[in-house]
Amino acid sequence: MIRVKRLKKNYGRFEALKSISFEVREGSIFGFIGRNGAGKTTTMNILTGLIGFDGGDISIMGKDFVKNRQGLISHIGYLPETPAFYDYMNSYEYLSLMAAIAGHKTGDSKRRIQQLLEMVALKKDAARKIGGYSRGMKQRLALAVAVLDRPSILFLDEPSSALDPEGRLEMMGLIDTLKHEKITIFLSTHILNDAERVCDTISIIDEGKILLTERLEELHRRHMHPIFDIEFEQEPEYESMSLKRLGWVDDVNIMGKKLSVRVNDMDRAKKEILRELIRSGNNIVSYQVRKMKLEDIFIGMVNRDAHI
Amino acid sequence: MHTFNAYIKKEILEAVRTSKYIILFVGTIFWALLDPLLLKLLPILLRSAVPVDMTSLLPQLTRDTAFINFAGDLFEIGTLFFAFTLMGLLSNEIRFKRLIFPYCGGLRPAGMVLAKYFHYAVVLSVFILIAFLTNYFYTVQLFEGGTLSAVNVMGSASLYIIYYCFLLAFLLFLSSLFKRGLMAGIIIIVFAYTMSIFNQFPDIRNYFPNYLLLKAQGTGTIFDASLVPAVAVSIGLSVLFVSLAVNRMNKIDIV
Repeated sequence: MIRVKRLKKNYGRFEALKSISFEVREGSIFGFIGRNGAGKTTTMNILTGLIGFDGGDISIMGKDFVKNRQGLISHIGYLPETPAFYDYMNSYEYLSLMAAIAGHKTGDSKRRIQQLLEMVALKKDAARKIGGYSRGMKQRLALAVAVLDRPSILFLDEPSSALDPEGRLEMMGLIDTLKHEKITIFLSTHILNDAERVCDTISIIDEGKILLTERLEELHRRHMHPIFDIEFEQEPEYESMSLKRLGWVDDVNIMGKKLSVRVNDMDRAKKEILRELIRSGNNIVSYQVRKMKLEDIFIGMVNRDAHI
Repeated sequence: MHTFNAYIKKEILEAVRTSKYIILFVGTIFWALLDPLLLKLLPILLRSAVPVDMTSLLPQLTRDTAFINFAGDLFEIGTLFFAFTLMGLLSNEIRFKRLIFPYCGGLRPAGMVLAKYFHYAVVLSVFILIAFLTNYFYTVQLFEGGTLSAVNVMGSASLYIIYYCFLLAFLLFLSSLFKRGLMAGIIIIVFAYTMSIFNQFPDIRNYFPNYLLLKAQGTGTIFDASLVPAVAVSIGLSVLFVSLAVNRMNKIDIV
């Protein structure tokens, strides 16, 4: 659906994107995660045709993006991080303006607008000026604008970052709804729980470079190994050394009297870890198994020195 | 064409909701009403404010002088209203990132720029025409003497319309260059006032748009061959500036 090869973007001497490549499958939700300033919004602005780029190839729906920009843009919807509207309009008027720009017929656009206002729960406030809307309402209206023209691909830039927990939940629910409409979604976020909840594929970007692109199941299988958190009476220096020598242990991290052990063979770890630790004579105060999250992988990826 | 139609409606709605029509009305038609009245009251005001009778120092106030006075004031004050009201036509769209959704929705920059230009060109033309006719009506009621006729007034109004349509095109282009509309507004005001200097040079003045104002502020024969270069240059520059604004909006990074 979307194929990006060696994409480069410079702002003066600053390299915002350093030859990034990735592919987005049709009908999937592609999670693009990274810290602020990693290059997420720049990538989205390029893929939506809002800014140019300095090198590389982009192909969308099998067509070269540069040569077919105008035609391809009609298949794309975009929800920017901070959507800006004409505040003196109400949401019905704004959606009507967007429908008119897209060339919708009046009757069709009226029906579509009513349907969208219902979907984003703004029907009651459709006659209120947008300037008086809350951040969450603006974000929901922005989603309605983004899907107005029934796009095949939807770019969502931090759709829930400024929302309260309830608003975030609503937004994630709406994205889930769109997934069932077979829309390919490119979701940029730094809220990793959101990405983990709805995405099929995850790509991690940092300092303009793609560090990883993998399907979520594969990511779980390959990287999200369980972690044993054990607390001792004494600092577990000796235990750490002895565990590091074992083949089924990937990483060991000491924080005071606590030891975190990432393992690659859960069955063996469950059988052997306590036996190994008891042998040292350092009394165990607490013991629990925690499932590694996307957040742990992300931190490990963007900060190579970081431990689990 | 979709963009043009959509933006014409949007500009009308914006002008109503943000009171731009009222501000432009005050800058044109309000002066047409106020100017003759103030001029008529000037001798009385002077008499009450200054103990010595100074009315003998004033020139004789005829319909011609009243009209010339209005035309001059309209340029000096109206240009300020015009520039500060419309300076953000494109720059505000860019600065406040309001074009992201329209661009993603298939907006054609040419349609948007032309819609903005035509909308305000029509609004300014109608307001100028009404202002001149209103002023003529009041001038005829309040003053006597002079050669002022409705035909002269309509001729003057048409030259003002051409001039302000040129100024609008220039403002639109400047507004596409700067993220802050104030810069465009200030440049337009400085440009409009300083260009009048060329009216002091008879050999070259009729090649400058401000010559239109000089001719419009007369009450004799307005249309003669000397106007042809100024009209041609004004229309030519208007087309050029609108084209440059379209070109700029086609290439600009809007985020």
